[in-house]
Amino acid sequence: MKGLAPLFLGIFGTFAFSWLGLTVVPNWQIGHLNPQSDEEGTDIYPQPQSGMFERGARVYAANGCIYCHSQQVRADYAADDIERKWGERRSAPRDYIFERPVFLGKMRMGQDIANVGARAPAEQESPLPVGAATSATSPPQQGGAPVPSPAPPGASPSPPPPSAGSPALPSSPATSPPARSPNPNAPPVSPSPPAAAATPGGTTSVSSGASAGGAPWPVQTSGEPPMYSAAWHHVHLFSPRSINIDSDMPSYRFLYRARRISDAPSADALQLTGSDAPPEGWEVVPTFDAKCLVAYLMSLNQSHPLKEVRSAAPAAASPAPSPAPGK
Amino acid sequence: MNATGIPLKEPEISAVAGDTEQLERAYIDASTRVPVLMFYASAMAWLILGTLLAGFVSWKLHSPDLLSDISFLTWGRVRPAHMNVMVYGWASMAGMGTAIWLMARLCRTVLRFPLLLVAGACFWNLGVLLGVGGILLGDSTGYQWLEFPGYAAIILFVAYTLVASWAVLMFRYRRGDQIYITQWYLLGAFLWFPWLYAAGQLMLFVVPVQGVLQSAVGWWYANNLLFLWFGAIALGTAYYMIPKVIGRPVYSYHLATIGFWSYALFSSWTGMQRLVDGPFPAWMITASIAATILMMIPVATVGLNHHMTMQGYFPLMRYSPTLRFTVFGAMSYTVFSIVGVLISLRSVARYVSFTQASIAYSHLGLYAFFTMVIFGSMYYIVPRLVGREWRYASLIKLHFWASAYGIGLMTLMLLASGFLQGADMQNPTLAFSESVETALPYLRGRSLAGILLTASHFIFAYHFGLMLLGLGRTSTVPTFLNPVEAEASGGH
Repeated sequence: MKGLAPLFLGIFGTFAFSWLGLTVVPNWQIGHLNPQSDEEGTDIYPQPQSGMFERGARVYAANGCIYCHSQQVRADYAADDIERKWGERRSAPRDYIFERPVFLGKMRMGQDIANVGARAPAEQESPLPVGAATSATSPPQQGGAPVPSPAPPGASPSPPPPSAGSPALPSSPATSPPARSPNPNAPPVSPSPPAAAATPGGTTSVSSGASAGGAPWPVQTSGEPPMYSAAWHHVHLFSPRSINIDSDMPSYRFLYRARRISDAPSADALQLTGSDAPPEGWEVVPTFDAKCLVAYLMSLNQSHPLKEVRSAAPAAASPAPSPAPGK
Repeated sequence: MNATGIPLKEPEISAVAGDTEQLERAYIDASTRVPVLMFYASAMAWLILGTLLAGFVSWKLHSPDLLSDISFLTWGRVRPAHMNVMVYGWASMAGMGTAIWLMARLCRTVLRFPLLLVAGACFWNLGVLLGVGGILLGDSTGYQWLEFPGYAAIILFVAYTLVASWAVLMFRYRRGDQIYITQWYLLGAFLWFPWLYAAGQLMLFVVPVQGVLQSAVGWWYANNLLFLWFGAIALGTAYYMIPKVIGRPVYSYHLATIGFWSYALFSSWTGMQRLVDGPFPAWMITASIAATILMMIPVATVGLNHHMTMQGYFPLMRYSPTLRFTVFGAMSYTVFSIVGVLISLRSVARYVSFTQASIAYSHLGLYAFFTMVIFGSMYYIVPRLVGREWRYASLIKLHFWASAYGIGLMTLMLLASGFLQGADMQNPTLAFSESVETALPYLRGRSLAGILLTASHFIFAYHFGLMLLGLGRTSTVPTFLNPVEAEASGGH
C-alpha cells in the first residue's frame, strides 16, 4: 500500500460509515418517539417511572438479571413468545422510550419478563399499568424499615373479598392475617397477605398468566402466595426452588434479612414454608433493595395497546396495519 | 539465535544483509522488553483471574445454589466480571503487548517513549481493577460489554489514549516506505478502538440515546470491539507470524488489500443481527445480516492468502509452537465467521437468538481465534524479550492440546445446547423450564471443557512465570514441539 493518506482516510471512512449507518440514522428514525395518548390527551402510555422503580431497575442491573431474562416479546410470525403467554402483542420501540438502561436482554435461561407485572393478581395490578409512576413515588419509603404506614389514599385496592385467609393457604408462621396489616406499603410492593387471589380451590385465580392451567406455564402451587403478587416475587427471589422445583434461578437471599420478631410479626415478612422457613420467633424481611426490585418487576407491563402494533387480543386496538418501525 | 524459527532462512534477505538485520532486530526487541513484558504479565494475571471466574460462572449455571448467599458472588455479578476481565484484562492487554512489539519491529526502529506505554499499562490495570471491583460490588451499568462503571471507563480511556498516541508517534518515526499488511491492521485497531469506545460511552452515558437504541448502540459497540479491535490485532499478528515462521513471503499482497478493506467495510456493519426479531426497524437487522454474509469475502481472501502462504509448509506445525497456535487461530477465524453467518440467518436466529449459541459465537471469536493467535505470538515474542527459550516442549504441547480440545468441546457443547434449547423454546407445548433442562447436560459438559481450559491456562502461566524469572533454556535454538529430524522437514 502506498501512501498514508488513503490508509488513514479509509480507516476513518469505514468506521464513520458504520457509525452513521447503525447508530445515527436509526436515531433519526426512532430516537425521538413520544408517548402515545388518545384524543383527549389522557391514557398516556408509556409513562416515565421514578422512585422505587428506578432504584429497582438499578438493583436489576447490578445483579445481572439481564444475563438470563429478556424483556422483549417477538412477533407471532417470528416466534412463539405470544403463544407462551409472555405478552399479548410484540414489543415495539415505543414501549422502552423511558427505560435507561434498557433491558432487552439476549438470553433466556429464565423466562421473558416483559410483562411479568401484567400477570399480577388483579387487585395488585390495578394501580399499575399506567398510573404506577405517580402512586409509587408519593409515599416516601424509609430505608427498609418495616414500619407499617397507612395506605395512601386512593391507591389502595379495595378490601380483599371474603375468601381472604381461606383454608387453601395453610398459613406459614410468618403469615399474618389480613386484618392485622392493612396494606402497609405502597401498592406495588404490597406484600399482600395471602388475601384476595386464592380461591378455596387453592388453584389459579391469577389474571393472565396461568389461566390455561396446563403444563406449559407455571401454575399456582398451593401454600404459596398468589402467583406474580409481590409476596410471591419475594418468596421466589428468596427461594426459587420452593416455587418451581425445576427452576435454575439462583437465590437472592442477600437481598433479605432474617431477624427476631420483636412484638408482632412484620407485615413484610416472607411467607416461607418447609426448609426455608425461619426458626420459631424469627422472620425474614426484604431489604429496601428487594422491595424496589419487586416494585420494578411489577411495573413491567406492555399490555397497553399500541397503535403501531397489532395485539393478539381482538378486543384491543384496531388492527391497523402498522406503518411503524419494527415490522 | 536465529530469529526466524525453523527453516533457518529469512525471506528476501541475503546472507550478509541478514547479519546486520538480525543485530538490528535484536536491538529493537531489547528496547521493547519492559513495556511488552508489563502488558504480557498483567494479561497473564487477568487471564488466571478470568479463568477462575469463568469456572465459577459455568458451574453456578447448572448448580444455582452454589454460594448464592453472598452478594458479590451471585451469578449475575460474576458473569459480567468474568467477561470484562477477559475482554479488557486479558485480551486487550495481551493484544496490545503483541501489537506494541510488532509495531516496533515493523517500523524498524527502537521503541521510543517507553514511559507512555508503562503509564498506559499501569492505568489500564487500574481501570480494569476498579471496573471489576465495581461490578462485583453492584455498580454495573447494565449494558453488556460496557458494564464498567464510569470511573473505571474514564481511567481505561486515559490509559488507552497513552498507548494509541504512542502507536501514532512510533509510526511517524518508522523507517522504510513499505507499510506491511500487519501495520494496516494494527493502525486500524489503534485508531478504531478509541472512536468506538468514545462513541459507545457518549451515546450510552453522556448523551444517552432513547430506549431500544441503547441496545443497538451496545451491540454495535460489542461487535465492533470484537472485529475492529480484537479481530484486527489477531489478523495483523497472523499476517506477521505465519510468513515469518515459515520464512516465506505472503502469497499475495493484492488479496491482502482486498481482504483488509472488505474487512473494515463489512465487519463494522455487523452487530444488529443479534437483535433479530426485536423491537427495531427491520432494515437495521437486515443490513447487519447482509454484512455478516458479506464477511465471507474477507474471510475467504484472508483464508486463501494464509493457505497459499502455508502451502507445502504445513508439516512445520509439528515443530513450531507459534505456527501451530497461529494457524489454529487463523482457521478458527473461518469457523467463527461461518458460525456467525449461520446463527444470524433469520430462520436460524429465531431458534437460537436467546440461547447459549451466542456465547459459543463470542468464545469462538475471542478464544479460538483471537486468544490462540495471541498465544502463538507470545511463544514467539517472549523468548526474544527475556533472552531465554521456553523451557519445556512438553508444557507447550499440553497447553496447546488442552486449549484446542477445551475450546472445541466448549463450542460444541454451547452450540448444541443453544440449538436444542431453542427448538424446545419454540415449541409452546413444552414448559419453559423443560427447555432449560434440555440445555443443562450440555452446560455441565461445558464445565468439563472449562476444566481443560483452566488446566491449559495454569500450565501456560507457570511456563511464562519461569521465563519471566529467567529460568528458560539458554540456547540458540528455539524450543520445538518435537525434535527436528535433521533434514526431514527442510526439503519440501
